[in-house]
Amino acid sequence: MTQGEEIILRGLPISKGIGIGFPIFFASVDDDIPEIAIPKNEIENEISRYRRALDLSRKDVENLQRMSLHEGPPEIVAILGTHLEMMQDPLLTTEIEGRIREMQQNTESIFQHLIQEYKQRFSTLQDTYFQERVRDIVDISRRILGHLRPLERVRMAEMPHNSIILTHELVPSETVEANSSLVSAFVTVAGGITSHAAIIARAKGIPYVANVDIKLLKKTELHSIIVDGSEGIVIVNPTRQTLRKYQEMKRVHLEGYKLIKSASHLKGETIDGYEVRIFANLENPKEIDLLLKNGANGIGLFRSEYLFLSRREFPSEEEQFAIYKKMVKTLRGRPLVIRVFDIGGDKKIDLLPNAPDAKYFNAIGNELNPALGCRAIRFLLRFQNLLETQLRAILRASHYGEVHILIPMVSDLSELRQVREKVQMIQADLRQKGIKTGNNVPIGCMIEVPSSAIMCDALAQEADFLSIGTNDLVQYVMAADRSNPSTSDLYFSTHPSILRLIRMVVASANQARKPVILCGECAADPSMIPLLIGLGIREFSVSARHIPLVKHTIRKWRIIEACRLAEAALEFPSAQELKAYLAAETAR
Amino acid sequence: MKIVRKVKVKNSLGLHTRPAAAIVKLLQPRKSSVFFTYKNETINARSIMSILMLAAKKNASIIVTVEGEDAEATLHHLENAFEQEFGEK
Repeated sequence: MTQGEEIILRGLPISKGIGIGFPIFFASVDDDIPEIAIPKNEIENEISRYRRALDLSRKDVENLQRMSLHEGPPEIVAILGTHLEMMQDPLLTTEIEGRIREMQQNTESIFQHLIQEYKQRFSTLQDTYFQERVRDIVDISRRILGHLRPLERVRMAEMPHNSIILTHELVPSETVEANSSLVSAFVTVAGGITSHAAIIARAKGIPYVANVDIKLLKKTELHSIIVDGSEGIVIVNPTRQTLRKYQEMKRVHLEGYKLIKSASHLKGETIDGYEVRIFANLENPKEIDLLLKNGANGIGLFRSEYLFLSRREFPSEEEQFAIYKKMVKTLRGRPLVIRVFDIGGDKKIDLLPNAPDAKYFNAIGNELNPALGCRAIRFLLRFQNLLETQLRAILRASHYGEVHILIPMVSDLSELRQVREKVQMIQADLRQKGIKTGNNVPIGCMIEVPSSAIMCDALAQEADFLSIGTNDLVQYVMAADRSNPSTSDLYFSTHPSILRLIRMVVASANQARKPVILCGECAADPSMIPLLIGLGIREFSVSARHIPLVKHTIRKWRIIEACRLAEAALEFPSAQELKAYLAAETAR
Repeated sequence: MKIVRKVKVKNSLGLHTRPAAAIVKLLQPRKSSVFFTYKNETINARSIMSILMLAAKKNASIIVTVEGEDAEATLHHLENAFEQEFGEK
C-alpha cells in the first residue's frame, strides 16, 4: 500500500457524528499484545487466570466435538481430539505457568511469545506437511487468547487523545469506560444498531460504524482515519482535501448541536402547549451534570447494573446508599428512577472463578438461550440477598428526595407483588431501627416482555407506574436478536405490532391513572417522536445527549397533528410501508 | 531403570499430529519419563507439540530414552505402536 492512498470503506452507521483521529487496534485476539509486569503477590492470580482460560477452551472444544460426533465428518472429531490433547501438553500447561512465575509478566504476552517461537521453528522445517501443523497451534492459541481477553488490562479509559478504536466487537462495560474527549470514534467488525454498546456510544456522542473489515486495515499502513457515523463510512488515510471537507462537516454538525442545545432549557412543549416531560437515561452516575445541563426533568432510567459491570463486583449496601443519596441530592427535587440490577442472561460478564460474585453466575451455568434466561428480576428473585441489599440502599436514599423503583423484565404480576412485599418488609424493618425512608416510594414495571404488554391492564392496576422499554420489547415481539446482523433487518421499532402494543399500554395506564414513560432508542428518533406523542406518550427517557434534540423536535409539532399521524400509522399493514410514510410525514 | 533404544518411524507421513497424539495418550498411564532424541534434539515425549517439532519423517531413526519403574513395559508399548504404524498401516 503506498503512503497516502485514500481508502473508503462502507459499514453500518450506528452512532452519528464525525470522528477524525489515529487508529488504535483494541485488544482483539489477533492484535499485538502489550507486555505488562505483574507484581509478585498477583502471580498466583495470574496463573489461575490462565488455567481458567485453558479450562474454558477445553470445554469449547469438547462441546464442538460432541456436536460434530453426530453430524460432522469423522476427521473433525479426530482433529478436535488432538486439540484437546495439545491443550494438556506440558508446553501449554507447566511451561507457561513456569514462565509466568519466572518473567512476572501478563499471561497474554508470555503465551504469545511461546506461540511465536513455535511458529518460527515450524516454519523453518523443510516439510510443508509439518508446516501445515502450525495451523492447529494457531487455532488453539486463538481460542485460549480469546478466553484470556475478558480481563485485558489495557483499559478503554486510558486511550490517548483522538483515538479511533478499531476492534472486533465492543462490549458494554468497555464502552462505558470510554471517555468521549479522548475517543473520537469506534469501528468494529460485529455489532448491531441497538446492541448495548451501540446505545452507550450514542449516549456519549461517540461516532460508531460497524460491519467493517478490520483485518484489511491491519494490513494497511495507517496514518489517519475519518469515521462518518451518520453515513457509515470509514475513510482511511484521507487526502488533505477530504480531511478539510470532513473537518468542515464536523464543525457544522457541532454548531447545529450547539444551536439546538442553546434552547434545551426550554420546556418540551408542543406548539399548542402540551407539555412532554423529558427525562434522562443514565449509566454512569458521574455523568449526572450533563443531563442537568441539557435540561432533563430528572432521571427516568438509572441502569444500576453498570455499578456492577464497571467494578465486576456487586456494590455493598453502604456503597449503593452513598451513590444513590448523592444522585438524589444532586437532582434537587427532580425524580430518580432506579432500575434494579438488570443482570444475568445475555447481560453477563466473565468473572474469575475465585471472584466473590462468580458464584451467582456459576449457579446458573451456561444457558442455552440466555436472552430468554435468568436475567433481571428473575435473577434477583433467585438471589434475593442481592435484591434486598439494593432495595435497602434505595429506600434509605429515598429519605433525601424523590426515588422510584423500577423492575426490569417483568413477565408476570407475581414478580411485582414479590418486590412490593419485600419493599414493605424492609421499610418496616428500617423504621423499627429508626432509619428514615421516603413516605412514598413508587414501584414501577418495565414493559419489555410481550406477556406484560398484553397483560398491561392488570399490571397498571397494581404498579405505581409503567415504563415501556422498546429496545427489548421489539426484540422479543419480533423474535429478532438485536445484535445479530442477520436478524437486524427484522428489528423494527416502527413495526405496526409495536405501535399497537404501545397504544394498548398507554390506554391501560390512562385508565388506571398511572403514569407511563417510554425509554428506548426510538424515543430519540425525530421521526418516531411525533408518532409516540400521538400514541399518548407524555414522558420520555433518553440519553442526556439527545435531550436537546428531542425537545427541539417536540417544539415543532402540534398535538393534533401528532395524533393524526399516529392514527394513520396504526393502519399500515407492514413495517416497510409505515417507515416510508413516517419518513415523508415527519421531515420538517 | 533406564533403557535407551532406537526405533524407526515406519508410517508414511512420519510423526505428524495423529501419531504424536497417540504417543502422548499411550504414555499417560505410564510412570516413566520418556525422551525422544532426533537430529541432536531431545524432547519430552509427553508433549505433542515437541514431538511435532522433531518433524521426523518416514524411516527416521529415533533414540528413545525411558527411565522409571515401568520402563520396560512402557518401551514395549511404544515399540509396538511404532511397529503398528499407529494404526495407520
